[in-house]
Amino acid sequence: MLVLCSILIMGCAESKILERVSLVTLIGYDLEEENKVTTTSVIRQINPEFESKVEVQSATEGTSKGTRIKVDMKTAKKIAAGQLRVVLFGEELAENGLNESIHTLMMNNELSTSVYLAVVRGTSKSILEYKYNEITDLGQHIYNLINHNVKQEQTISSTTHEIARDYYSKDRHFALPILAKNGEFVQIDGMGFFSSGKMVGELPADDMLYIMMMQDNFKNGKLDLGLDGESVDPTKFKDKELQIAVDSIKTIRGIKVVNPDENEFDLTVKMKCRLLEISSEVSTSDVKVLNKIEKSMSKKIESELSRILEYSQEINSDIYGFGEQYRAQVRGSDLTEEKWTEKYQEMKVNINVDVEIIRNGVFE
Amino acid sequence: MKSTLQISDNQKISSSLFFFVVLATQIGVGIHGFQRVIVKDASNDAWISVILASIFSHIVVYFMFKTLSLSTSDDLYGIHQDLFGKYFGNFLNLLYVLYCSFSFYSVIRNYIEVINTWVFPNLPQWFISITLLLLVIYAFTGGLRVMVGVCFFSFITGLWILIILYMTLKYAHFNHLLPVFGNDLKSILRGAYSMTFTIVGFEIINVLYPFAKEKDKVQKYVHMGLLFTLFIYLSIILVTLVYFSEEQLERTVWATLALFSVVKLPFIERIEIIIICFWMIIILPNLCLFSWAAYRGINRIKNIKATTFIWIFSILIFFANIPILSRIQIDKANNIFAQIAFCIVFIYPFLLYIIAFSKKMLTKKRERRN
Repeated sequence: MLVLCSILIMGCAESKILERVSLVTLIGYDLEEENKVTTTSVIRQINPEFESKVEVQSATEGTSKGTRIKVDMKTAKKIAAGQLRVVLFGEELAENGLNESIHTLMMNNELSTSVYLAVVRGTSKSILEYKYNEITDLGQHIYNLINHNVKQEQTISSTTHEIARDYYSKDRHFALPILAKNGEFVQIDGMGFFSSGKMVGELPADDMLYIMMMQDNFKNGKLDLGLDGESVDPTKFKDKELQIAVDSIKTIRGIKVVNPDENEFDLTVKMKCRLLEISSEVSTSDVKVLNKIEKSMSKKIESELSRILEYSQEINSDIYGFGEQYRAQVRGSDLTEEKWTEKYQEMKVNINVDVEIIRNGVFE
Repeated sequence: MKSTLQISDNQKISSSLFFFVVLATQIGVGIHGFQRVIVKDASNDAWISVILASIFSHIVVYFMFKTLSLSTSDDLYGIHQDLFGKYFGNFLNLLYVLYCSFSFYSVIRNYIEVINTWVFPNLPQWFISITLLLLVIYAFTGGLRVMVGVCFFSFITGLWILIILYMTLKYAHFNHLLPVFGNDLKSILRGAYSMTFTIVGFEIINVLYPFAKEKDKVQKYVHMGLLFTLFIYLSIILVTLVYFSEEQLERTVWATLALFSVVKLPFIERIEIIIICFWMIIILPNLCLFSWAAYRGINRIKNIKATTFIWIFSILIFFANIPILSRIQIDKANNIFAQIAFCIVFIYPFLLYIIAFSKKMLTKKRERRN
């Protein structure tokens, strides 16, 4: 009886047979004049012969659902959005604010909250409508591009849930990766900082790791650094940069409110890593040299972190959760958005990075 | 003691099954979105509210058993008739029956709303309610032991959902929980009050108690059941608090379901859809036992056959389900139900105990005088 009823319920639902629907895997939103949005969607269709065809459709309308109706008019099959993986926003739209878009994404039950969001340099239409030689399914391609970088901790994770969490939170802002078309490829080009839903600034992709270091703990990261050669070995590297690469980075980040009245924070990053690439002239078997490298690395990372932090304070985008920590650690702080904005821009952070090289490669 | 129940041994159920009964009746539709309401009151200390509400329900259960053990072998309906006489007692019984029916109605209504919003927007309400009611009728006609079996079944098959719950911890921000006790006691208590809709269900033991095999052991299992629901509610509220930011949570209608929607398994991408459909098995014991409790009450007032009762009951519920309610109306109905439930489940047992106890003392004195 139970089984029978379940079958009955399933059978009476609106059926969506794979061959008869087209799956939207990627949507791009762009701002159009008069408060209208242009939606460009990458639609994948599956034939009975298992050949999938990808087409790109775009339409302009006041609401997202409105554009969907318009796109429906152009496609032969019914559109299903349940397989949506990535949502892209044009640069202009991002600068004007993503408030409505995020709300729309959260309201729709059809979409899962693990959809990735990203900003596109220029308009998303231009990036999506271009015919790439190498890429057959653009939707899947961009999803894989973001997904594997997130898994390898090379770019910030920007699922709808995380963005909505930080967007609605009154003491935290969010950041999105920026994608750009580069010849025949699409690449992650940088990171956009948001403040109250509007894009206010950006940093290049090289800074991504430092940003993530301040945001959260690393489990397995990679990093290359240009150290000040003189601090390691003044004789060999006078006025020269010493390029090194480390991987298997594990960091533990800690933010502590030292003095709530004077708005002073301690940011400590404890980092353990493996040295993978270094100039052959440096003898890595020497403990003293290793210690010097460690110290020099700490200094370098500290300066990078403070540079990035200063920039984000300037544009008032707290993507690291200093406000969250302030609320958690200071009793009765009664933090409002305005209050925190004021505090954030004036706060003093003592950055302290502690690097430890645990091992190096198989050859010294 | 004119109305002592005569229950043959083959109708009785093992007392250890009360553990599953309490679990199955407590966990219903409230669990889908209870976080939002509590967090509105108690902010990040909502988990303390959950613990407080659970402690309070333990106290209530203690007094319920005190009241039940004052009479030899009787359920709540019998106690009512015993204490207040035939007419007023029956009036109270009728109120209790109405409460059970309201509870039944509210479970089925909320579940239909979830199904319509998340899974099948176009599936007509009457169809879902017919399906559910047919299942209830089927279990009901099987008798009490079948219904208790359904409780056990729904608990065992539902355990895997907890694993999915912990998978969302990947996105946890544990500092959302700090500072502990940042809110005053009043708002935490108000949060505990808001738990009512979610935590009620255990009052079913009022009616089920006479059917236990070893009566002295029942209380232990009921308390254990309450502890286990506390564990489940506490895990859910803690995971929710670290997963959502507070302002986001206040906008999320069904936070528990939204939690699941981020989990992607290799073989299934949208696990929450499966969970929602699966929830039918979890609410089924709720529906069965509440309709059964209503039947016991009606049976005291007028002797009718169980099968006749469940058909009439189902038809009434079916018609009550036909008008389409908006979300706001459903929320309103839930609030009204929560208020009624608070009076009946959390306040009335104390009152009843005081009355029953004083009456027993009086009769004892009178006997001694004679």
